[in-house]
Amino acid sequence: MISYGLWTLFAKEVRRFMRVPGQTLLSPVVTTVLYFVVFGWSLGSRLRDVEGVPYARFIVPGLVALGVVTNAYANTASSLFVMKLQGTVVDLLVSPLTYGQILWAFIGAGVVRGLLVGGVTWAVAGAFEGFGLAHPLFALALVILAAILFAALGLVTAIWATSFEQVNFVPTFFITPLTFLGGVFYSVEMLPPALRRFTLANPIFYMVDGVRFGMLGISDAPPWAGAALLGALAALAVGAAWAMLRSGYRLRG
Amino acid sequence: MVVHRGAAKKRGRARQPRPVRRGGLRPHDPRARGGAAGGRLRPGGRGDPGARPRQGGTAAGPPGTVSPVESVVTLRGVSKRFGDLAALEDVDLEIRQGEIFALLGPNGAGKTTLISIVAGLLRATAGDVRVLGKDVVEDYRLTRRAVGLVPQEINFDPFFTVEEALRIQAGYFGVRLSEARLTEILDALDLAGKRRTNSRALSGGMKRRLLIGKALVHEPRVLFLDEPTAGVDVELRRALWRYVRRLRDAGTTIVLTTHYLEEAEELADRIGVIDLGRLLVVEEKDALLQRHGARTVRIALSRPVEAPPPALADLGARAVAGGRVIEVEVAAGSAAGPVLAAVVAAGLEVEDVDTRRTTLEDVFVRLVSRGARGSGA
Repeated sequence: MISYGLWTLFAKEVRRFMRVPGQTLLSPVVTTVLYFVVFGWSLGSRLRDVEGVPYARFIVPGLVALGVVTNAYANTASSLFVMKLQGTVVDLLVSPLTYGQILWAFIGAGVVRGLLVGGVTWAVAGAFEGFGLAHPLFALALVILAAILFAALGLVTAIWATSFEQVNFVPTFFITPLTFLGGVFYSVEMLPPALRRFTLANPIFYMVDGVRFGMLGISDAPPWAGAALLGALAALAVGAAWAMLRSGYRLRG
Repeated sequence: MVVHRGAAKKRGRARQPRPVRRGGLRPHDPRARGGAAGGRLRPGGRGDPGARPRQGGTAAGPPGTVSPVESVVTLRGVSKRFGDLAALEDVDLEIRQGEIFALLGPNGAGKTTLISIVAGLLRATAGDVRVLGKDVVEDYRLTRRAVGLVPQEINFDPFFTVEEALRIQAGYFGVRLSEARLTEILDALDLAGKRRTNSRALSGGMKRRLLIGKALVHEPRVLFLDEPTAGVDVELRRALWRYVRRLRDAGTTIVLTTHYLEEAEELADRIGVIDLGRLLVVEEKDALLQRHGARTVRIALSRPVEAPPPALADLGARAVAGGRVIEVEVAAGSAAGPVLAAVVAAGLEVEDVDTRRTTLEDVFVRLVSRGARGSGA
């Protein structure tokens, strides 16, 4: 049962990003749509089909996944870090909310923002490429798992960080490169063996590949193995965030 | 640390335990002493409902302790270290139900550290901290419901209005803020006109009042005010004092830290002086002033003298202002009569007599400098 305290924090976090939709929803959608237009439509028309799917359609799941994870991360990381900077984190720390309630309220809001951005991205791409989904529940479950994983990572980073530079470190040096190298724009079948091995070692590849399976019905790796890996990573990230909250690390002194 | 036992009884006033309603304070509650029916903070508003004399308590046991029945907050052997820095060292303290307790100390003395540990913002390195008998770490959900904290630093969330900020804070405590309660808080803090104003657009004083409102939404049994009037103008400061008294009269225990000794003198029932992480003294305010205090009698003479007459010199008198004034320090509890009698007996012509009472500031400076010497600082 969801407590009123958890609901309050969750609703507050959702309202926070809804107050600035241009920054939190529209801006990432515009960026992702630009990827779609440039890579999918402009260049994609010159590329051959990938695994029997037109290139513009092939990249949609990856772009959706990219939008989901970057925004799920950004929501929790920026919100909690700004609370630390502004001192409003005191409001939470003196409250009787449990560590689990704080954790899931933040993660929940991050997931909502991630799904909104991912959903709008899918809707825009769908207007061009169609809305058909091969395994909609699998796609949704995987996207939610990915959002949970990155929302939890955002919390971990916000707790650990002492500067905005550190908050930006994860998306700049981790999420974006690994996502771009995780098969958003290509199939591993298109890569030389060395790069293929690198891609297969990238956990984000399994997320993109799994979402692609859910949306298009094609995949380079066994989708359930990818889902299991994503689930394990999400559990790890959530556990780490919970442990940090519970220990009071860089929050309670 | 010294506590005067039965100090109140000595003064012929017995402290009556104040009934504390479950659910905490409602400054407008007609049951609240002082008839705080209006309750606005607005300067020049209603009279001070908290002006009734406050009595000393019955301290018992080690310094800083009271009977467990009265105790709302208990610290036993509490220490806090930040690396090599000892912010608190072996602090024992009990806060009584329904009192205003002022924690005084210079910058870095450990005041904020102490209340932050009770409120859950910091964790003690050692010792036992309890609120209403519950451990603040093990039973944090229970203890935090009983505590409200007004932090020293002003903070606000620029995404939300005053009303939203109050509703959100109440929600964290599982409280759905009723319209009546919201209005009550807004009125009491003179923020009704700013209800739908973004927190960012409030003045500094209003933001501080909003912090107080946020600390009160869940009707805490104990309210911690960390430097509540820092940077606040005199009018607002006095309005806040009135409100704090009203809260106390409605049954809320108040613990405040302050740099303004005048504030502690004006408000506090008991005072703790802390320096370098050590609690130097915890005592009833009046007893503290009485015990550590003295009066200075200044006698202005019509004709200057080179030195005080022997009878006055024996009382410790000294001539100042070119011999036009004789100053004598009269110990606490002693009468000034013998001084005046000696002046008359010496045939001195008196122009004016002035008595200056020792202030809390004098006592504080004396205690802190003594504490610093004791610690070798």
